[in-house]
Amino acid sequence: MSTLLEFKDVNFFYQTKDAEIHALKDLNFTVDKESFASIVGPSGCGKTTILSLIAGLLKKSSGQILLNGKEIDENDSRIGYMFQRDHLFEWRNIWQNVTLGIELTKPKDADKKKEFAKSLLKKYDLYDFISSKPRALSGGMRQRVALIRTLVMEPTLLLLDEPFSALDFQTRLRVCDDVYEIIKSEKKTAVLVTHDISEAISMSNKVIVLSSRPATVKHVQMLNLNGETPLSRREDPTFGSLFDLIWKKLTNEKQTTEN
Amino acid sequence: MKNKQLKTKPSSAAPYSKAHEKYLKRLRNDKIFVLSFQILILVLIIGLWELLAATNVIDPFFVSSPSRVFNMFISMVENGTIWRHIGITLLETLVGFAIATLGGTLIAILLWWNKRLRRILEPYIVVLNSLPKIALGPIIILWVGSGMSAIITMCVLICIVLTTISMLNAFNSCDADKIQLMKSMHANKFQIFWKLILPNATSEFISVLKINVGMSWVGTIMGEYLSSSAGLGYLIVYGSQIFNINLVMTSTVLLCILAALMYLAICLIEKWHSR
Repeated sequence: MSTLLEFKDVNFFYQTKDAEIHALKDLNFTVDKESFASIVGPSGCGKTTILSLIAGLLKKSSGQILLNGKEIDENDSRIGYMFQRDHLFEWRNIWQNVTLGIELTKPKDADKKKEFAKSLLKKYDLYDFISSKPRALSGGMRQRVALIRTLVMEPTLLLLDEPFSALDFQTRLRVCDDVYEIIKSEKKTAVLVTHDISEAISMSNKVIVLSSRPATVKHVQMLNLNGETPLSRREDPTFGSLFDLIWKKLTNEKQTTEN
Repeated sequence: MKNKQLKTKPSSAAPYSKAHEKYLKRLRNDKIFVLSFQILILVLIIGLWELLAATNVIDPFFVSSPSRVFNMFISMVENGTIWRHIGITLLETLVGFAIATLGGTLIAILLWWNKRLRRILEPYIVVLNSLPKIALGPIIILWVGSGMSAIITMCVLICIVLTTISMLNAFNSCDADKIQLMKSMHANKFQIFWKLILPNATSEFISVLKINVGMSWVGTIMGEYLSSSAGLGYLIVYGSQIFNINLVMTSTVLLCILAALMYLAICLIEKWHSR
């Protein structure tokens, strides 16, 4: 499998009134095409910063971020970003929410993208709700709409910033399966940032463990669990030992930080 | 694909059960109960006022009475003078209300757009907001002249700072993640404002409209007290100067009715918006 995303010696500093903060230090990792990578790390280590750098919302201080071998720029339409909450606009109906990206960027193939949006909504049982306002939808349905809003722009790479953290546990497990299925069937590459190790293991082919600030890659765990869905993957016999391994890497890191 | 062509799923609500009918009836009864008491209070006030005035417990020369107010209103309708006064006050209020609401919102947009400008102007806005605007009355008359222009200026001054502050707060309270979402979809600043910040502030805008309804009447009447030759404020001042309490009370009641109607219009807009 070829590499889609590559971080090469990426550093990121940000300025506060008191000091210059070194957030990311010589960060190196790769994500393969059509794979699912998760990034875990201590709170405040810079996980979301990594996604913001990929999305072009922040500018790296040094190093290279390559997508398909080409440097990412701030207007890169190859990247789709899904946030912690669905952030559906309550004054727009589902169709207007889903086609927001088309409205903003006015692509040449807008009609094709609208047809694609329509097909995604039909495929994931949301088409009947296109004229409804987001408040009429359940938490899980809202997250599916948010994902479709991102997919409509046909991004090469999907960035998921703890997209399930605002959901209750049961809904979270179900939506995890839904989102995973959508990403796999649309043959997308995804980078997930999460605090939840179980979620990272059940969804990913690769888990990248970060150190505390300044974040460096502390450990990379390749995964090949049995199971079609994240929920079924949790039943893999190696799931527990993988959880322990990543937990130890993280807790060592936490202890180091606290000491 | 046009949005109009899209159809919504039919409601999945179950047909009315007896319990649901009972619930709806309770809601209806509650509404009737509240409305009945509202009307009863009004009738009691008017009735008591009339009774006390008719039996000379209170002196009608100083407090008038509902029948005198009504007779005064009828005589003013018959000689046609009331429409001119109502028309002038209404015009001043509506123009002041519109200028202050639009102007205040435009200033808020400008200050949201340019953070540095906002920081520069912040102390001036704070001072203007805390200043009792009536103190500016003589200056306004000197600068814009007496009459309608001074009254509208007073009305605008009273509403515009509050509108600016409220709308700016509404613009700034937009979720930062939503702005990031727009940026991740390559929205420019205008698109972020037009498609996110502005619609996100609609509820606050309606609240501002509601506040401005009251404030614009305050501004107009204050302005008419200072300098006017017609209008309901003028009638109140004129009536008190010639000890015609019936005229004062009639004008005050008319003001109450007009302000309530304007507030009701905003409530209808709010209802339409929340549908």
